[in-house]
Formats: sequence, structure tokens, C-alpha cells
Amino acid sequence: MKFTLDWLGEFIDLPTTDPDEIAEALENLGHEVESWERIAHRFEGVVIGRVLEVGSHPNADKVRVTKVDVGDEILDIICGAWNFEAGAVVPVAKPGAVLQGDFKISQRKIRGITSNGMICSESELEVGEDEAGIMVLDNDYPDAAERLGQDFSTLLPADDIVFDVTITPNRPDCMSVYGLARELAAFYQIPLRPVDLEIDGGVASTSVTIEDTTACARFVGREVTGLTVGPSPHRIRSRLVAAGVRPINNVVDASNYAMIEFGHPTHAFDVDQLGDTVIVRRASDGETVTTLDDVERTLLPTDIVVADAARPVAIAGVMGGADTEVTDDTRAVFIEAAYWDPASTLLTSKRLGLRSEASARFERGMDPEFCRMAADRVAQILVETAGGTVGGVTDVYAERHVPVAIDLFMSEITRLLGIGFEPAEARSLLERLDFDVEGSDPLTVTVPSRRPDVHRPADLIEEIARLYGFENIPARLRFGTGAGLGTRERRIRSLRSVLVGAGYHEILGFSFIGAADLDALQLADDDPSRVGIRVANPLRDEEGVMRTTLLPGLLKAASANLAKRVDDVRIFEIGKVFLPGSGELPDQPDRLGFIAAGGSPPRWDAPGRGYDVFDATGLWDRIAASMRLDGCAVGPVRQAPFHPGRAVGIMRDGEVIGYVGEIHPAVAATHGLEGRVIAGEVQLDPVIEERAPWQFTPPSSYPPQVFDLAFEVKSDVPAGAILAAIDGAGRGLIEDRRIFDVYEGDPIPEGRKSIAVNLTVRAPDRTLSDDDVAPIRRAIVEAVESETGATLRGVV
Amino acid sequence: METTETLVRLKTEAPARIAAAASTEELDELESEIVGRSSPIAAGRRSLGQVPPEQRRDLGRAINDVAKELEALIAARRAVLASAEADAALADDAVDITLPSRIPSRGTTHLVQQVMDEVVDIFVAMGYTVATGPEAETEFYNFTALNFPPAHPTRLESDTLYLEYGDDPEGVLLRTHTSPMQARYMEQHDPPVYLVVPGRVFRRDQVDSTHSPVFHQLEGLAVDTDVTFGDLKGALDHFAREFLGTEIETKFIPHHFPFTEPSAEMHVYANGRWMELLGCGMVNPAVFEAVGYDPDVVTGFAFGIGADRLAMVRHGITDLRHLFDPDQRILEQYR
Repeated sequence: MKFTLDWLGEFIDLPTTDPDEIAEALENLGHEVESWERIAHRFEGVVIGRVLEVGSHPNADKVRVTKVDVGDEILDIICGAWNFEAGAVVPVAKPGAVLQGDFKISQRKIRGITSNGMICSESELEVGEDEAGIMVLDNDYPDAAERLGQDFSTLLPADDIVFDVTITPNRPDCMSVYGLARELAAFYQIPLRPVDLEIDGGVASTSVTIEDTTACARFVGREVTGLTVGPSPHRIRSRLVAAGVRPINNVVDASNYAMIEFGHPTHAFDVDQLGDTVIVRRASDGETVTTLDDVERTLLPTDIVVADAARPVAIAGVMGGADTEVTDDTRAVFIEAAYWDPASTLLTSKRLGLRSEASARFERGMDPEFCRMAADRVAQILVETAGGTVGGVTDVYAERHVPVAIDLFMSEITRLLGIGFEPAEARSLLERLDFDVEGSDPLTVTVPSRRPDVHRPADLIEEIARLYGFENIPARLRFGTGAGLGTRERRIRSLRSVLVGAGYHEILGFSFIGAADLDALQLADDDPSRVGIRVANPLRDEEGVMRTTLLPGLLKAASANLAKRVDDVRIFEIGKVFLPGSGELPDQPDRLGFIAAGGSPPRWDAPGRGYDVFDATGLWDRIAASMRLDGCAVGPVRQAPFHPGRAVGIMRDGEVIGYVGEIHPAVAATHGLEGRVIAGEVQLDPVIEERAPWQFTPPSSYPPQVFDLAFEVKSDVPAGAILAAIDGAGRGLIEDRRIFDVYEGDPIPEGRKSIAVNLTVRAPDRTLSDDDVAPIRRAIVEAVESETGATLRGVV
Repeated sequence: METTETLVRLKTEAPARIAAAASTEELDELESEIVGRSSPIAAGRRSLGQVPPEQRRDLGRAINDVAKELEALIAARRAVLASAEADAALADDAVDITLPSRIPSRGTTHLVQQVMDEVVDIFVAMGYTVATGPEAETEFYNFTALNFPPAHPTRLESDTLYLEYGDDPEGVLLRTHTSPMQARYMEQHDPPVYLVVPGRVFRRDQVDSTHSPVFHQLEGLAVDTDVTFGDLKGALDHFAREFLGTEIETKFIPHHFPFTEPSAEMHVYANGRWMELLGCGMVNPAVFEAVGYDPDVVTGFAFGIGADRLAMVRHGITDLRHLFDPDQRILEQYR
């Protein structure tokens, strides 16, 4: 909420005018000051001037040429406004002035005549909303004519400052100048000026009936007659503008002014348009009312309305009706100040999507005891500013406020804050905030009706701590009994370091994607990743679906990097995907995803190299080895968006837990990716699940036997089959087997290939002799030949 | 007689030739010529059989003396030549060591992840447990269990992202904070609780320099029979010193969160001004009641730290968007 220091000063005499100090005091009370601004800064270079002459412009119809006395000189100024004549006292922005919106005033020629500045309107100076004409000062400031040449700001409250304070939702009582004055009075221990707002008066001619006393505990109506509707005086308009409220007319302004001043929203009905009985009731199903914003609203029985005998005239606590709106012809008003139930106000404002300054306050809880004063304060202002006469009042207080009383034991304060308070000390702190306190331990504390947030001892302790000062509570370092990092966290960290060690950079991608992102993956129609959970209220379509796979984000990241000429892109992400589940919440498993594109560029010692599927399977092998994932198998697989012949599925316990390989060239192209792109996506849980500690194997101290075998085999026999056959026949003595050549072409017949393997065999307990190795070698050759249809080409 | 003359000549001439040998190769040839199988020395030894026995002994000794002397000279010369040749070989082997070096490149952990790990470690060292929770969360755990009143503005569709999931249009949402794990964890564990929860959270915010629909928090919760506001200050002061340096100044100012009472914000003095670092407070008794703890028996504190903000404060990042940019030139800085 925004307000001026001058306004605050009506209720307290602050010990300082330093805005930083006041802001700090407010912050120490828990009211965050977003900003403060000296109003005078808005008017530098703006002075008071008197128009001496007004003449026509020889080359333009819509503007006039004036001579303006600004004290030390007479300026020729061209002006487009017509609401003044010679003799008017006006604000003049001289060349060099800078107005709101960084609008610099300079000497400039308009149709051949030089204008030396600008005569300003209220809105140009940000002191009002009137844009129709320039601001004629002698209307509001009779002494302005004696101050020609002085700064315009001298007319305003000296050095006035606008504060913008964020009020937390638990403190509706602070959504007013008076409420914050009360807080500051408690802080500085200075008196808060009491206000006398209630006006006597006879019985109003309009009767009030409350049918639903849960929704409306109290309804006060105050009549004011003999009004002349017109603009409010400048003092009211400028405070409203400073508070961010648009001045409308003196009646609406009075209601808004009183709301900012004391917090309680009111509404003024035009008495002549309102029937003489007012009923507060539930709306009937389908009933309509046109609100002040000229929208016809259809109501439900959960909505509360203010109605006369004929029709609803306002949606309770939310917005008034157009039928009974104050107009220029309004002569008398009926001012409503009610206590509207927070829950039902919220229900209606939310349902209608209609949130007003009033509804925001009623939703948080206004002070039922203040209704009469709220209505009467508006009446007071109308008497001052609209020539009104106070009429009768109706006050139906159906459900009287029952004060909350709380017993507060001193031991409870110690338990929560860690320091002890004497009852007298606690009592004095609470009394500074206008709590009624009796007894000693416990203190029996009666909560003011304006404090719906206080209902248990902890709430009182917060009040005590706040005024006592958090900085005065001593800190103590205590150690917990928690279990530490845990396996899961530790294993994820290990996994992350494997990827980092392999040259991959981690990203934190957004959790949502657009529906089009899934299409771009060219997934099969029945792919479960196609079924994304929709965000009900996304800000952008591109954020409309929860991601079902990490790949769209990774593909986009790779593409963005290549576009920026990053030549070797290696990126990974660990994060959740969201899939329809069977429980209350979506399934949200964690995944590991990676992508690499581009490649290492040529350098002095090595040629350039791109990525291919073996880099992808290599990364997986590294992960599997480092994370000790025994029992994972890989096999060829067809799975969008991967290349049908250059990708593998990763199997664990018979279940596919992920895919790694090259991205399908068509998908890569769709994402603007050139060359081979590798990627992978794997379920995280099987990778990071706890593993038994590895067990030490002493290395053999005996020499190995090393030999090579070359097989000729049909081209479509996978190398893996040959290795599997070798492993099966090795009698546990094969230490290493390494394919060192794969060859097709002359002299190998068409349709066949040669695979050459280098083998190292070694026994843990003895030196293997040639006689030991021969049968192993024979067994290997037999196994490979029988299992894969290969023939031994001979020892290479 | 012939042998003796040859020996004398050899003894006189050979040293100069050995000294003049320019390479080990040349020296090898010379060695072979002087003391090798077809050398005069070898010939002399072979001829000893025909020498009369009374001369044989003296002649044999003379041959051996000359041979020894020359072999010693050759060995000395070889050592000199070999050392020079080794030096020359090394000199030949020298490279331009200003050429770029060679090591497989290393990646990086994301800065915000590093920060979360570091904060987690600080609290683990203080005796906390790590847990994580669901990002798509129920309205109950995100709001109601945490004492958010029905009218709380954060519940609005303008602030919170809701998912089309289940029957209640406001039943499932993207958690707006890591605090739901307070309730979930307490429901499943008896006190005492010392918990830290790193994780991803969501708000319905347009991306700009200080806002993002996705960001990261660390939730903390300490519940025991005697946890006080003083303990809260102690823990968070310690955290700030560990993370930002021992000289860091902190202050606690009152604030409001539905799930803590009293509530506070911790501000730190950094980069020349006071700035909000985290929200915290004593666990509201209503939260204890919602999870089945007795507020007359236990007290506790909770806090929520913005991990992205911590990263920005410490590393001089002024625009939040950089943290969500996958530009590898940015990622490479996260060393």
C-alpha cells in the first residue's frame, strides 16, 4: 500500500523525518518497504507562473500562444489546453525540467513559433488524474499568486514522501494509514492521536434487514443529503494519486480516501435510485446484477447480495451495482459499511474473477467494531468536500463480535523464544499494541477486534518478539540428531561426477514443455511419453504440458548451443518427468538424460571428430561401471526419437530402463541439429539404488599368455555374439579380450566379415604353459564357430 | 719381436685415435680394430704358444697391460660419447611446449546444484537428514496442512500453477515451495526431526531478471522438545557464515508465513546493501496439529532458502535468466 508521510503525520508525531529511518522502523515491525520517493523530485524545474496574455497561433488552430510571468522572466509558451484565460496561476515546467516518464522539457519550435517550456496538467505532474486541462492553481491554492517563480513543490506538504509498503496477508488492520500509524506509535512509544469519528444522527429512512447473519454480521447505513457532486479538493486528489487511486468525484473519492485512511471499505448508493428497504441475502440461482464495471454478472445462491425490494444493488463486499451508482446528478447517498464474512467474500470474488480493493480487504477480515466509524468518516468528508448534510443512520449488528481472550504463560514465551520475560515486561509490550492485559502469569490477553490473526499464545509471542526486537534474542547453535546425507543423495552425487568427468555439463531445464515438443520427437502413437499432464493455467503454450521425457529440453539446449557456434556440446540433466499414475498424484520418476552434438574440432595433434553411437554406449558403459550396475544388458532397439540402427535399449532384470544412441536424423533436422547427435535417457532409480560394497580381488602375480584369433563370419552376426561365445568358453581365465579389427572386403567373400580378437589369459595361481593354453584356445574357437557360424581364419 | 713392436706402436698410436673417435659407432669399429678378435692384441695372444716358454710370461703380461690400458681408454671415451649422444637425442626430442596441452575435457555441475549440495552439506554437518519430495503436490500438503487460509493470495490461479489431474481442479499443483515436505516428513517420522530438503519449486511468474516459473529452494526443519527462536538464529547465522564467509552480517526482521509463528526474514549485508536471503520462523502450532504432533510437547523452527538467489549473490549474477540458460559458455564457468 502507498501513502504519504504527510498523511501519516496526521495521526502521530514521528521522532524523525528521515525516510530511511522510518522505513527501517516499519521493516522491524514486519512491514516491508518496497520503496520511498520524495514527491518534490517529480517537480524539479517546475515553478509557479501567472498567464499574462493568451493569443492565437498564426499557423495552428488547436494551440494558443501565451505569455507567462515566472517571477524573474516572462516566457512565451505554446499551450494546447483551453480551460484557462489570462490571469490564471499555473504550474510551468521550464526548459530543463524532467517530468514523469523521463519526459524532458526543452525549448522547441511549434509551427514556426518557439515555446519556452510547458504549462502542466495534473496528470503531467502526477498530482492528480485530470488530463483535460492544465492545472489552475488559484482554485486550490489561494496564495499561489503571491509566489510567482517559486518552485511548484512549495505548495505541497513540505518534503512529502510516498512510501510503498507491502502488507502481509495476515495483517488487514495495517492496510491503512491509521493502522501503520498505530504500529509506529507502538514502536517509537509515542501517542497515537485518537480519532473521533462517530456522528450522532436520527434513524435513516432506509431500513436494513440481514437475512444471512453468517455472511454479514453487521451492516451500517449512513445517509448524507444535499450533495453537489464534483471534483474533490486538490489535497484529497493528490493523496489519492500518491496512494495509487484514481480520483473520480468527491463522493467516490470520500469512500476511497476513508478506506486508505482507516482501512474499512465502504460503498455509496445513490439514495434516489435505491428502494427504501435494503436486504442482505443470498442471491437466487441465476439472478443477475450489472456491476460498476458495466458487466452483467449471473449469481448463484453462494453469493451474497445487497438488494432492495426489487433487485440486487451490489455484490456483497466485492462491487456495487451500476443501477445505484453515484452520478453527477446524485444528491443524496446511503453509505454502506458492513462486516462481510471473509470466506463467502472470497468464494464470490474468486468465482466471478472479480477482485477489488474492497474484496481483498474483506477476504482478510475487517474490524466489525469499526463499521459505524467507517460510514461516519465518509459522511464527515462529504460534509467537507461535497456540501453534504449528515442524515440518519441504520446499524444492524446481528452477530456481535466476541472478543478473543488468550492465557499466556511466561514459560510458553521462554519455550518458544529461548529467553524469559517478566510478566510486567510482556504486559507492557502487548499494551503498546493496544491489547487488553490482565493478571500476571498467565497474562489474560484480550485481542482487539481488528486483529483476526491473533488467536493463540504463539501469535501473542510473535507480537512480543516483534516489539522486543529479534536482534535482542540471543542466538544459540544446536546440533541435531539427523541421519545425514543418505545413500540416495550420495549415489546421485557420484553419478553426477561420472558425467562431469566424461565432459558433460549439467543443465536445470524447465519441467514443462509444449505439446508441439512431443510431436517433434516423432514418437509412436502409443508411446506413453505422448500422454503429458496439462498445466491448467500456463503462462505460455510452450509451458502447457508437464514433460514426459527430458529429451525435448536437451535437444533444444543442443540446438541453441550449436546456433551460438559452441562446437562441442555435451549436456546432461537429472530431473523429474511427469506421467499419469494410479494415485492421488502423477508418477514423477527421476531420469538422467544426456545429449552430445557437434564434436571435437581439429587441433594440432588430432583430427576433428564427431559423435556417434559408440560415444553414447561408451558413456553408458562408464556409468554402469562407475555405479557398479552389474547385470545390465544392452541390445538393439527401435525407439523414437532414436536412430533405428544406431541405438540400444538398456535392460535390467528383463525391463528396459532406458535408451542411448544416435538421434534419428529426421528428428535432429527438425531441431536444427546437423551431423550425428547422440543422446540417452535412463531411469534414475535403478542407476542409483544402493549397491553392496565391492570386494577386493588380488591381481595375479603370474605372467599372462597373449594371442590373437581372427574369425570370418556372416556380416549380420553381431560382434557381441562372438565375445559372448569367447567369454563362455574361457574357463574363467580370460583377463581381457579386445576386438582390434573388423574388416569387410577382399579377400573376405561378399556378405561376410572378419573380426580379429586379441586375448589375454592368465591364471591367478600359476604360470599357464603352452599346454595349458592350447585346450582353452581350442574351446574358444569351437564355441565361436558353433555359436556364430564363424570359421577361424588363422592366427593373425 | 714383431709382436713387441706392434704392441709398442699400438700403445703409442691408439690413444690418440680413441680420443679422436667422434661417435660410439666409430669407437665400436676402433675397439674391434684395436682389441677385437682380429686385432694385433688378439693375434699376439694367439701367437703366445709359439713363444719360447721363458719369454711367454713377460710377453703375455705386456700384451695384457696394453690391452687393459686401451680398453680403459675406450670405456672412458665411450662414456663421454654416450652421454653426449644421449644429450643430443634428448635435444632432438624437445618439443614446443607452448602448444596446447592434452587432457579429456571435464564438464560441470550446475551452479545451483553446487549451491544446493553445499548448503545441504552445511546442515548435514549440523546433524540434519536429507530428504526430497514430489514436485507435483496436493493442495493439502502445499497449503492446507501448512495453515494457509482459504483466502491466501498464493493459492490464486494467478500465482500457482495447477495441473489437470484428478477430479478437483485445484487438487494437484506444482509445489510453490519445498515446505510440503515438512508436513509429509513429520507425518511419517516421530520427533525429533532435523531435516533439510533441496528441490525444485514453481510459481506462475513470467521469466524476467528476478523471476522464473521454475526455481530452487532448500527447506529446513528442526523439531525437538526444546527448540527455540534462539536456535533458529544460531543455525541460520552459522549457515550464512559457512556459505558467504565468516565476516557476513545478518539481521532478522519480522515477516509472515502461515506455517510459522513468529515468522522472520534473514537479511544479509552483501554487495553494499542489505538483502533478503531467506524466510524462517517457529513452526506454527497449527502445523504440528495437522501432522499429529503435540504442540505442547515439541517446538521447532523451519526455514526456506532460495538456492538460485544464493548463487546469484555469491557469484555476481544479476539476471536470474542466466541460471536457466543452457548456453555451454555459461555452464563452463560453473567450475
